[in-house]
Parts: sequence; structure tokens; C-alpha cells
Amino acid sequence: MSYGRFLLKRGLQGIVVVWGVVTIVFMLRFITPGNAVDAVAPLDASPELRERIAEELGLDQPLYVQYLDYLWELLNGDMGYSYISGIEASSMVFSKLPATVELAVASSIIAIGLSIPLGVISATRRHEPADYAATTFSLVGISTPNFWLGIMLILLLSVQFGIFPTSGRAFGFVQAFRITANQGLGAGADAFYQWLRFITLPAVTLGTYFTALITRLTRSGMLEELGQSYVRATRAKGLPESLVRYKHALRNTLIPVITVLGLQLGTLIGGAVITESVFSWPGLGTTLINAINARDWPILQATLVVIGTGFVIVNLVVDAIYAYLDPQVVAE
Amino acid sequence: MISPRTLRNLRKELRSSALAKIGIVLVLAMILVAAFAPFIALHNPTNQDLDENTLPPMGFSRTTEETTSEMVNGSLQLTNETVYVNATASHPLGTNSLGQDVYSRAVYGARTSMMVGVLGTVLAAILGVSVGLVAGFYRGRIDDALMRFADVSLAFPSLVLAIALIGLWGRAAVDVPDPFVVFGLVDPVRSALGLPTGMPDSFVLPGTVIVVVGLVNWVWFARIARGEALSIREEEYVKAARALGASDARIIGRHVLPNATTPILVLATIQVAAIILLESSLSFLGFSGTTLSWGFDISQGRGYLSTAWWIATIPGIAIVLAVIGVNLVGDWLRDALDPGIEGEGGV
Repeated sequence: MSYGRFLLKRGLQGIVVVWGVVTIVFMLRFITPGNAVDAVAPLDASPELRERIAEELGLDQPLYVQYLDYLWELLNGDMGYSYISGIEASSMVFSKLPATVELAVASSIIAIGLSIPLGVISATRRHEPADYAATTFSLVGISTPNFWLGIMLILLLSVQFGIFPTSGRAFGFVQAFRITANQGLGAGADAFYQWLRFITLPAVTLGTYFTALITRLTRSGMLEELGQSYVRATRAKGLPESLVRYKHALRNTLIPVITVLGLQLGTLIGGAVITESVFSWPGLGTTLINAINARDWPILQATLVVIGTGFVIVNLVVDAIYAYLDPQVVAE
Repeated sequence: MISPRTLRNLRKELRSSALAKIGIVLVLAMILVAAFAPFIALHNPTNQDLDENTLPPMGFSRTTEETTSEMVNGSLQLTNETVYVNATASHPLGTNSLGQDVYSRAVYGARTSMMVGVLGTVLAAILGVSVGLVAGFYRGRIDDALMRFADVSLAFPSLVLAIALIGLWGRAAVDVPDPFVVFGLVDPVRSALGLPTGMPDSFVLPGTVIVVVGLVNWVWFARIARGEALSIREEEYVKAARALGASDARIIGRHVLPNATTPILVLATIQVAAIILLESSLSFLGFSGTTLSWGFDISQGRGYLSTAWWIATIPGIAIVLAVIGVNLVGDWLRDALDPGIEGEGGV
């Protein structure tokens, strides 16, 4: 199989999964007790009014008609309107998406930037203090609930020392760029500084679990690779130790690490939901929780569809990178 | 199902690993605390005592501004005074804003975490292992369909799906009588020890949470069980059983499942840790059926960070210790049994 055909096959599988995601989100309404009309109608609504509401929401139609309608509207980018505010669900969700993506990307950068060096140091200096420090950190890191870590960071760095703001988001990364373009470098630098001040604690909170997880994976993978016979062979032919470690052993270590990262992406998004709630970060997680509590179906469905689809897309990208790094995957 | 060789490996690994010993001690401590909570807690964890609210833990004190008024020469004079609130021995880890004992709540919180962690994992394992074994054993269309379904459920993060389901289904909880209290064992022991009596006679089991954490975590078991079934079905002993005319159900139950237990067991341990974290996240966000939970207490303490740090800090330490313990036991099992799985299944 060529690389192109591999990508095509994965892409088609991804579309099937997205269709499944949409179907489950649609079904959620029908496995939920309570009438959907109740969520919208006033308490003293007359039967006629209730009927009209049901008609307007399409709830009087047979299930398969409602399902096909839902699919068709989704294909046209129509996710309905919020029951509460009347705002278009798609514009609401897509306006919240950048904040969540920003948080996820920032914490991934922290996680990848810290964990791979930590894992390598830990594996190459086995049973030295650096290894013990790294393994202790990673054990505690994967065992700490991130919402509690966030609260402890707020307690220490915001409440006690006042270094970072306790919650909220000044503006987005893109907005900071716009400020730089419109108001010059001075205002721009200040904008980025503010952006950084607000995102640091949430990003550290969300990134710690992943830093710890990847450190563990890198360490154990590296230890295994360093024991392989090809490593002995490269050493025997006189390659410098740095090349043996980074060009050969680390490269082979990263392949399984990438698979686990793709699988753990859901954990990252789930973690973002709770991190947003701790820091009042105005992203998809906050939107989701508000929508659930208010039974705002269009917003809830739109959020879930976007989260599910996002997961599929990022996994496709991970798969593409994975297959590029390890051509065996394509051959299979 | 546990062979002598497996036991030997477990013992050998335990002897050489200090971390495994720490893990076992932590997990045993948690099980004992959860089981004997009515004897170990100092107070009824739900008793409110507003006179003793927000007491600091032993070794700390808290300052508060107190305003007193007095009449001086016919005019009212207000004086602001800084008052020190000191810890008391009867609340060694302090009290929360309602005057509930932080230590006793942490003790009872262990029950919720253990129950949800273990029952949720059992449910996820039953669902996932059944699906995975069938998919891996029959392969073909059944396998494709089941695994695509697994892909779809994987696309929803556990926490996201769990809050959606609990938010929509409600927070049903079951009152389970506390056997020690019901049989009258607790009060005599407590009076003999000089502790206050009147512990809660029932325990709230957050039923929806258990079902939901099982439903959102089955995929990990399905993946592992399928992989095992795929390779075991090719083994000679399976072919032999089939040649002898054994039914599919018998082959799966008597040959495939027993040979797949090791990786499933290791995964189950990791999942207990993941589900304890998931439960605490759910109760932190208010999606739980019980208020006796570490996550709930952390959310309560959040509003008092600048005045009473201990309310949110102590339950968090309890979570970290419990999860470290379970993770260390998981590492021990993995290293001793080497089933070739690595860190699957997160929060």
C-alpha cells in the first residue's frame, strides 16, 4: 500500500467514526428521561403551545425523519439555535473553540518539551539522583487530579505570591497578534505578556499529567531500546554515544509514544474541560457544562460533535505522522 | 488461574522493589480506612457545628478580624481586633466552613473512591472483555462493527461523556446500610475509646456515577481482550478443543478468557486509578450523587483558598496518596507479569 492510499483509507475510516459520533450525539436525546419540549416550554404552557413548540423543533416527526434532518442540517453547517440565548449554536461553539485549542496546544508544548528530555535523562542515568527525581515526578504527576493541582497552583502562586491571575483569559493569541499589527510593538509585547500571564497556570495544570505520562513512556521505551542488539552494533562500529542515543534509540522510542499520545488525546480534551472550570477559562468545557445544566440541547450537541470530530481529525494527523515515521505501518 | 510461576514472579518482583511495597501499604491502608471508616473517623462526617467552623489543622492558626462595640462617653465606639483561631485536638486536620471535621470526611471519602473505583472497573471489565473476546474470536464483520463502535466511543473523552450522561440522566444514588453501625458494633467501641457516637447508619453509593464510569471506560478492556483473543484463537490448544467438538462459548470461556487474564488484571489495576481520578473530577464538578467525596470537598474548599487552605488541600492529598498506591501496585503487577501493555486508559 502506498502512503497516499494509506491516508485515504484512514480518512474514510475517520468519516465513518465521525458519522458514528454524530449518531450517538443524536441518540443521546432519546435515551434521556424527560421530554425535550419541557426544556423550552414555559411551565404553564398550554397544550396548543407545547404542540407548536414540538412542531417547530421537528419533534412531531418520526425518529428517522428527525435523524435525517439532523444529518442534513449538520452537513449544511446548521447546528440549530441555543434554547437559552437564541444564538446560533455553530457560531457559539466555534467562538469558544480557539480558547480550548490554545490551552490544549500550550499544554502539549509544555508536556512534549519537558517530558522527552526528562525521559531520556532518566533512562540514560538510571539509578542516579536525576533518574529518581524524574520517576518520582512522573509517578506523582500521573496520580494527581489536575483540578486539585490547579487549585494548589492558584493557592500558592496567585493567592500567596500574586504572580499570576487566579482565573479568566485576557484575550486570545490571535487577538494579541492583531494588537501588535494595529498598535505597534510596544502594545503588542504587553498584549503577549498579558496572554502569557493568563495562560500559564491553566497550561501547566493541564500539561502536568501528560508531562508525567510521556516521561514514563519515554524512559521505559528508551531503556528497552538501549538494551537491543542494534544499539550494541552501532556502539561496536564506533558511533559516538550521542548519535546512538538520539538518532537510533530515541527515534525508535518515539514511535510507540506517538501512538499512546493519540489515544490519550481524549484525556487531554477531558482534562481541558475541568481545567477550564477551575480557571473560568471561556472555552468549550465551560460551554459544555453550562449547556448540560441548562438542558440547552443544540449547544450541547454542537459541543459534543465538535469535540468528537476534533478528536478524529487530530488522530488522523497522528496516524499520518506515525506512518511517515514507521513505514511498516503502511505496509501492514 | 494463578499459576505457581506467576506467584513466584510476583514475590520476586515484590522483594526487589521498594516501590511495590509502598504501593501495597498504601492500597491496604486505603482499603482498611474505607472498610472501617465508622471506627476510624473522629466525628460523624456530616455533622455540622457552626461554632467550630473553619478551624485550622494542628500546628496552624488562623487570624480573623473581630469587631466589638462599646459605649464610650455616650457614643458608640467600634474597635477592630485581630483574633487568632487555634486548632483543637478534636479536629486534628481542621474543619470546613460548616464546621464538619475535615479528617473524618477524608476517611469516609475513601469509601466513595474505593466503591466507585472497584465497582466501576468491574462493570467496565465485564462489558469490555465480553465485547473484546467476541470481536477477537470471531473476527470478520462482527470484529469490524464492534471495533468501529469502540473507535466512536473513544472519540468522546471519558470525562466529557460522563458529565453529559450524568447531567442528563440525573444523579441517582443508593443508600447502603453500614453493617457495623446497623449491627450496633460501632457505638460501644467508640464510647470505650472516648469518641463521639452517632455515626451515619447508611452510606450513599452514587449509582449513576458507577454505571457511567463503567460505560465510558469499557473500550480499554475491549481493545486488550480483543488483542489477546486474536492471538489465543490460533493456539494449538484452541484448535484441539475445537477438534474435540467444544462449542464456541466453551472455548471462549474455558480457554481464551483464562489465558487472557494477566493483561486484563494489569489493565484493571490501572483503571481503578483512572476511575478514582474520574470520580473525583465528576464530584468536583458537581456531577455525583454523594457529598461525601474527596472531589466534592475540594470544590467546597475552593471558595476559601485565601482564608482556609486546608479545606481544599487535605482531600487532594488523600486522592494523590490513593492513586499513587494503586498505580504502584499496577506497576508491580506489570513488571512481574509483563503482559506487554503500557499505560493505557487515562482519565
